[in-house]
Order: sequence, then structure tokens, then C-alpha cells
Amino acid sequence: MTSRERVQLVLQHKEPDRMPLDLGASPVTGMQVDTVYNLRQALHLDPPGTPVKVVEPYQMLGEIKSDLMAVLGVDVVGLSQRATQFGFKNEGWKPWTTFQGTPVLVPAGFNTEPDANGDILMYPEGDKSVPPSGRMPKGGFYFDSIVRQPPIDDSALNVEDNLEEFGPVAADALNYLSREAERLYSETDKAILGNFGGTGFGDIALVPAPWLKHPKGIRDVEEWYVSTLTRRDYVYKIFERQCEIGIKNLEEVFAVVGNRVTVCYVSGTDFGQQNGPFISVKTYRDLFKPFHREINNWIHRKTQWKSFIHSCGSVRALLPDFIDAGFDIVNPVQCSAAGMAPEELKKEFGDRVTFWGGGVDTQRTLPFGTPDEVRKEVCERLRIFGQSGGYVFNTTHNVQARVPVENVVAMYETVRQCGRYPLAGRPA
Amino acid sequence: MSQFEEMQQAIIDGKAPVVKELTEQALRDGVKPAEFFPKAIVPAMNEVGRRMRDCEFFIPEVLIAARAARAATDILRPLLVGDEASRSAGTVVCCTVKGDLHDIGKNIVAMMLESAGFRIVDLGVDASPEKIVQAVQEHKANLVAMSALLTTTMVNMKAGIAALASAGLRDHVKIMVGGAPVTENWARSIGADGYGKDAPTAVDLARSLVAN
Ligand code: B12
Repeated sequence: MTSRERVQLVLQHKEPDRMPLDLGASPVTGMQVDTVYNLRQALHLDPPGTPVKVVEPYQMLGEIKSDLMAVLGVDVVGLSQRATQFGFKNEGWKPWTTFQGTPVLVPAGFNTEPDANGDILMYPEGDKSVPPSGRMPKGGFYFDSIVRQPPIDDSALNVEDNLEEFGPVAADALNYLSREAERLYSETDKAILGNFGGTGFGDIALVPAPWLKHPKGIRDVEEWYVSTLTRRDYVYKIFERQCEIGIKNLEEVFAVVGNRVTVCYVSGTDFGQQNGPFISVKTYRDLFKPFHREINNWIHRKTQWKSFIHSCGSVRALLPDFIDAGFDIVNPVQCSAAGMAPEELKKEFGDRVTFWGGGVDTQRTLPFGTPDEVRKEVCERLRIFGQSGGYVFNTTHNVQARVPVENVVAMYETVRQCGRYPLAGRPA
Repeated sequence: MSQFEEMQQAIIDGKAPVVKELTEQALRDGVKPAEFFPKAIVPAMNEVGRRMRDCEFFIPEVLIAARAARAATDILRPLLVGDEASRSAGTVVCCTVKGDLHDIGKNIVAMMLESAGFRIVDLGVDASPEKIVQAVQEHKANLVAMSALLTTTMVNMKAGIAALASAGLRDHVKIMVGGAPVTENWARSIGADGYGKDAPTAVDLARSLVAN
């Protein structure tokens, strides 16, 4: 059975030979570069000191190369645009060292500057003549956006200001996607997850637009949340235009990648916090759902893609609406947040949605537990989520830095051992 | 509706300009600055806290209400002079710890504490232990509130506490911690004085810590 078939079967809620596994196919299912390095070393894939590529500079995610995929049994690959969160392309690699001392390779545009505190500043498109848009705190593991909020004059707000990043997809980007899709489809047997961008509404990680040199409109995090109530019409109009552009772009992308792609990453907006949803169900229905539905309807009418939504935190209250809006896959399934117990989620929603993630608690067990605790939890999660398909193994969000490598190894060993169908110990 | 009731409603509804106007009007009518807290701001924010807990209010609603409360406290703070100021509930140094840039929760906690009558020294995000020590000394704070949202940065709370101890300040301040991955157990294990799971709890906790 190929990886692609395996993923397709679970998406149809059927049981293949084993549970499929994703690592690194999307910007929310990967692994921080220091951890990738440690894992490669532990698995003896590289001689000591061999650098790992940083494929996503904002979160500092490391490359999951085909040798690592083969060892772990990864079933999904990502198809992404070449431009990174900081606007430069993933090309022209040069050496760099993280604060943890890990040797890495970064793209040519990864031009940094230390500030007075020893933090590292990063520039949009690598252009040091404009103000920096990212900062890695001294000793830190990843960048965060530097909010560049021009003064807001409500009478002069223009939706175009918040739409600068949502233009038509460029011809060279389409060429690239076309070639890459063909390459991944013919050279690997993996399912392809398309990260095409542009269809996530109000994603707070993207609102500050660290890739733009001079972002306009509303770019401050708190101001954005406040605006979803106080400037609802403005936000609604942004979404309306963004949705139009997004669908047009999906049409063009589909024309070149076709059904070689299995899964489309539609939304990465975080709707959950630790104890409950970020916004009310009503706000979701009024402001977000109509656009999610429109995108998903297009996907389901025109393609065989499955639609993927990522939302951290406690989203139990919103799940029925996510499903109703047409999402087929939910990630990262943060079981450590309120109301997100695996048994309940699987029981209540398992026949209607594929859970992609939630394989281990990345807030407690993976970073702080023992390898035995990791094994026990992973095995339990697989047993619960894996019933009747509808499950792709991944951690809860990217595997972070400072995670003991023994725990990471124990996790993947357990997936191999406990992830086989038919599942052990279930009622006949 | 009385002046104070009207103001409470305007805070809950997040109408900052109305709150500002009502505050100015009441001051002209001779209301003492310190009176606003027990009669309008604290009860309003208690109600916001209740709605937050009961899932009637979500992040945007809470932020807007907190901003409205701030419209009043911004006017009132400078007017609280002499012993009225020293009778403020206490001075809290608030921050998100070193390496962490999640600040939505910290901001809500700070705004709630402020409207409960505490004086807030907000160090923002990515606050180093040295910065915390310096702020406690400079502002003679009696409380430190640290927030962390990442497992990779929670440990920096411990560093903050250690720095306060080595500066000889540990006995002068109470330390409270919170943020998504933080638990009661963690708080205890690093030697903090209290843990709060949400902003309303943070206010209760701060009150009880300064009372002891
Ligand atoms: C919004 C968000 C972001 C935003 C932050 C914007 C901002 N300016 O704050 C963005 C998109 C930028 C972001 C970035 C990242 N994030 Co983030 N993020 C979240 C999310 C979805 C919600 C956090 C939030 O704002 N909640 C709302 C507020 C109101 O809640 P709160 O902070 O918990 O605060 C409340 C209580 O905890 C308490 N409280 C808070 N502080 C204090 C202090 C005291 C003293 C007291 C008493 C109480 C208290 O009161 C508050 C109000 O009730 C969480 C999910 C989650 N489960 O929490 C992930 C989450 C925290 N992020 C996570 C990660 C991994 C990241 C990144 C590393 C990216 C990545 N994916 O690799 C980066 C790192 C950025 C950095 N360098 O810090 C992970 C952390 C996992 C881990 N192992 O720890 C989480 C848990 C998501 C997940 N599914 O795993 N994130």
C-alpha cells in the first residue's frame, strides 16, 4: 500500500494497514530545527555537526528530509509556495547557528542584525533598509512579528490596506507549484498537502504581515481582535474580498496541480485558547463561517481535495460549525485544552471529521514526561483516535525546542508499534 | 440609573468615549477620584470577569471592556494623590517572561488588575529577570505577575524568582504566575506564591496575596 492510498483510506474513514503519519507537511505539523537536528543525530542519520535546513524561518522549522521520512514512516509531503513568512524565498542556502549552538542552513534572504539586548532582528524580504519585522529574543528558538502599526484613522481606513498580501497568484509561482506537484507526485508515493495560502481569514499569526515592508491597515494583534467587534463591517469587507481573490487563486492553482493534491490547508486561524474559544459561536457564524463555507464548497464541487483547518486551543464549541462549514480535517486537536478529551471528541465527531494531530500532549508529556509516559499516552491516543480510520498521527502542533530527544524517539517507536490495524484490544 | 450604574454599563458594553465623558462629568460634580473604583470600575470589571467565566464574553468583548475601563483609570490615576495613591491596592510588576511574546492574556490580567485598583508597571513581553528586579526596586512593587504561554519559556519564571531572591527582594514581593501551560503544581514547584487560571482569579489572588 502506498502512503497516498493509506492517507486516502483514513480520510474515507476506513482502516488501512497502519495509521498514517505526518511530519513537516504543513507549517503547523513540523518540528523546530534544534529538535530535528537532535533527532537526526540520535538516529545516526548524519555525522555530528551536519547542518539542518531551516525551511520555515519564522517558526524555525527544520527540514524533514526523505531519509528521516523513511525511517519514521512519514506519509505526507507538503507542497508550498517558495516565499517564506519573511517574504524571501527558500533558496540560496548559507550557514547559520541557532542560540542553542545548532548548525543550520538558512535561505540567502535570511539577513539578521543583533540589537542592543542581543536579540536578533529579521527584515522583510531580507531588506535591511526598512524597519525589521521579526525578532528572536536572545536565547530564543523562533521569531515573532514586530508589530508595525501605523496610526489608525477610522475615517480613512480602506479595506485595500489590509488586502495588500492577497493579490492574484503570480505566473512564476504557478509554474513552480505545477513542477513541484508533478515532482512530488511522481518521485514519492506520499499524499500531498497543499499550502497555497490566502484562504485563512483573520489569522492572527499573519495579521502583522512580517513579509511586507510597510504594512498598512490594522496590523496590531490586540487591535485586530478588538476590530472584529468594533469595526465588524470593515473586517467583513476584507474577508469578502479575500474570499473572492482566494477562490480565483485556487482555481488557477487547481488548474496546474489538479488532484495530485490530496489535502488543502485552508485555515490556520486560532479560534481557541486554553479554557475555551477565542470568540463566541455567534461571532464565528456571523463573521467567519460564511467564507469558510464558500471556500469549502468550491473545493468540494471542483476538486477531490479534502479541506484542512488548524485551530489551536479549546474549540469543542466550534467543531459542529467547522464541520457544517465543510471542513474534512481538524488539526492540531489540542487535547490539553478545556473540553478536548480524546474519547469525547472521537465519539461525538469521529465519523464526520478526520483528526490530524493530538497524538501526544506537547504542553506536558512530550517536553516534560519520561519516555515511558510518552509511550503510554501515544498508544492510548492511537487506540482512541484510530478507530475506523479518520486519523492521521501528528503531535499537537509543531514539536518544539527543548524536547528530550528520547521522548521524540519513543513517540515514533510507539506509532510504529501501536499504529497497526486491526487495532489491538478492541471489542470484536 | 445613577451616574455610577451608567458608568458600569458603559464599561461592560465597552464604550470608552462614554466612560471618559461620564468620568469627567462626575469629577466636575465633585466625585472623589478614589470613589470611582469601588462604585463603578471594580463592580463593572467583576461583571466582565463573571461573563468571561460563564462564556458570555470572549476575548474581543473582554479587551473592549478593559479598554473602556482604562478610559476612566487613565483620567483618575494622576488625580489619586498623596495617601489616596498609597492606599491603592498595591503595585504590580506585570510581564510575559523572557523568550515569550504571547501577551494577550498578560494584557487582560494587567487591565483587570488595574481596574481593581492596583498600580501596574507593565514590562511588556520577553522580560528578563534583571528587568523584573530593576522594576520591583524602582517602583517599590509588592507583587510580581509573570505570564508564560510556552513550555519552552515556563522555566524562565524560575529564573525570575531566583533573580528576585538573589537581589534580596524575595521577602518584599509576592509572586503570582499564570498562562496556558502553567499549573498550580508548577507554580508551587518553582516557589511562586500563587497561580491563577484566568484573569478574574488573578484579581482575587492579587487581593489575597497583598492582604496577607
Ligand atoms: C494566540 C496565540 C499565538 C499568537 C500570539 C499573539 C500575541 N501577541 O499574544 C501568535 C500567533 C503570535 C503565536 C505564536 C506562537 N505560538 Co502560540 N498560541 C496562541 C494561542 C492560540 C492562544 C493564546 C492566547 O492568547 N490566549 C488568550 C489569553 C487570554 O489566554 P491566556 O494567555 O492563557 O491567559 C489567560 C490565563 O492563562 C491567565 N493568565 C495569563 N497570564 C497570567 C499571569 C498571571 C500572573 C495570572 C495569575 C494569570 C494569567 O489569565 C488570562 C486571561 O484569562 C495558544 C493556544 C492555547 N492553548 O493557549 C497558542 C500556543 C500558546 N502557542 C504555541 C506555539 C507553539 C507558538 C509558536 C512557538 C509558534 C509555533 N506554532 O511554533 C509561536 C511562538 C511565539 C513566541 N515567540 O512566543 C503553543 C505552545 C505549545 C507549547 N509546547 O508550549 C500553543 C499552546 C498552541 C498549541 N496548540 O500547542 N501564538
